[in-house]
Amino acid sequence: MIPRLLVLAAMIPFLGTASASTAEAEKRLKTAVDEVLTIADHASNNSGLIESLRPVLHKYLSFSAMTRRAVGPGWRQFTLDQQKKAIDLFTILIIRTYSSKFTPGEHPEITFKSATEAEPGRVEIPTTLLYKGSHYSVTYRLEEAEGWRVTDVVIEGVSMVANYRSQFDSEFKKGGADAVVGALSQSVEHPK
Amino acid sequence: MKHHLLPTLLLAASATLLTGCTSSDRLPPTKSHPAAVGSDKHDSKSVKAAEGDLNEYSAISIADPLEPLNRATFWINDGLYTVVLRPITKGYQAVIPKVVRTGIHNVFENVRFPVRLVNDTLQGNFKRAGLETERFFVNTIAGVGGIGRPSDHISSLADLPEGDTGQTFAKWGIGHGIYIVLPVLGPSSLRDTVGIAGDYALNPVNWISFVYGGYAWTIAIPSTNSLRVTHEQLGVYDTATKSSLDKYLAIRSSYIQYRQEVAKK
Repeated sequence: MIPRLLVLAAMIPFLGTASASTAEAEKRLKTAVDEVLTIADHASNNSGLIESLRPVLHKYLSFSAMTRRAVGPGWRQFTLDQQKKAIDLFTILIIRTYSSKFTPGEHPEITFKSATEAEPGRVEIPTTLLYKGSHYSVTYRLEEAEGWRVTDVVIEGVSMVANYRSQFDSEFKKGGADAVVGALSQSVEHPK
Repeated sequence: MKHHLLPTLLLAASATLLTGCTSSDRLPPTKSHPAAVGSDKHDSKSVKAAEGDLNEYSAISIADPLEPLNRATFWINDGLYTVVLRPITKGYQAVIPKVVRTGIHNVFENVRFPVRLVNDTLQGNFKRAGLETERFFVNTIAGVGGIGRPSDHISSLADLPEGDTGQTFAKWGIGHGIYIVLPVLGPSSLRDTVGIAGDYALNPVNWISFVYGGYAWTIAIPSTNSLRVTHEQLGVYDTATKSSLDKYLAIRSSYIQYRQEVAKK
């Protein structure tokens, strides 16, 4: 009886600190970052990098949540087919943007800061990124749905999803779901 | 990307902004939908379950009555970056070794001390003003005129948020007014444009030309100051625009979000 109490007492300090979900989300993000960096370190060119990063990003990012939120309430007016097209195209765009940030031979250094649980099932993990001699603050938003997945990346206060939200909104006002899907495929086919 | 880069450059592209912002472009999640994040399978069930999160992010948030003019200026800037700035910064990168560039960068950052000190003070943040002063002396003395940055190894001094004049106005509750794209300088707002002028006047690098105006060498120093940040800023610009649907909107949104973040620091 007494040893059991001691064990319980010994656990108390841990209850007050990081909750189980922040710890889980942090672990997940670290695994993801490690996998990405390992791949990036071995890649010699950009197109090869995109190919090898794709499966990893599919595993750790929620592209459907990103697309939905970047579109906003107009999403309800998308047919299932348009939704699928939008998600597929946006996924290509995100993976391409993300992969283009890596320069062969340059290794980013990432420092994780303490995570906060914004609400149940949602965790924000601030990090600092040192890359090519410059420091950036990068916050990852993760949510729990079939494991923890990244739903947004916020660089120096600029959220990727919010950035697309204003662009999609303007397309949607112009011509509804078709305009959004059209603009997306335009962007995928003709990178700027 | 730091806002401190903005004011000094007569040449740079930047991404940033603040108060005509009624709603944020990037408000943190406000609703609780633990089950709201759908799976990445595109079945109708998961999409349905996920619809509650469609208002997570609200759309744009700054008045832009000058949009047609702003767009025109934006595209002129965009061309200018490509035709003029990229080759120049490339040359700078190629000709001057990285160690020297880092030294130059550090010296200019250190000299920029009055911008930070005055704004920290105007914001009533005396603690940060004190730390800035401490950092200035550490780097000037131990870093040999600011070439080195020994302050990076002192934890209280390593990560001080930047102060700038636009940020001071924001803390005083002054709104953005309207969105303005400045020639060459890029995105700004009515308030931040005044802020840029304030930063410019507070930066000792620019005092030289007030005092000794007219000589060629007085242009060389502010130009070097601009060059050192332009490369980095073009990188940021490219990142924000590369996969965009509409470059103009992408930069405007980035600017608003970024300045909102700066105002919080």
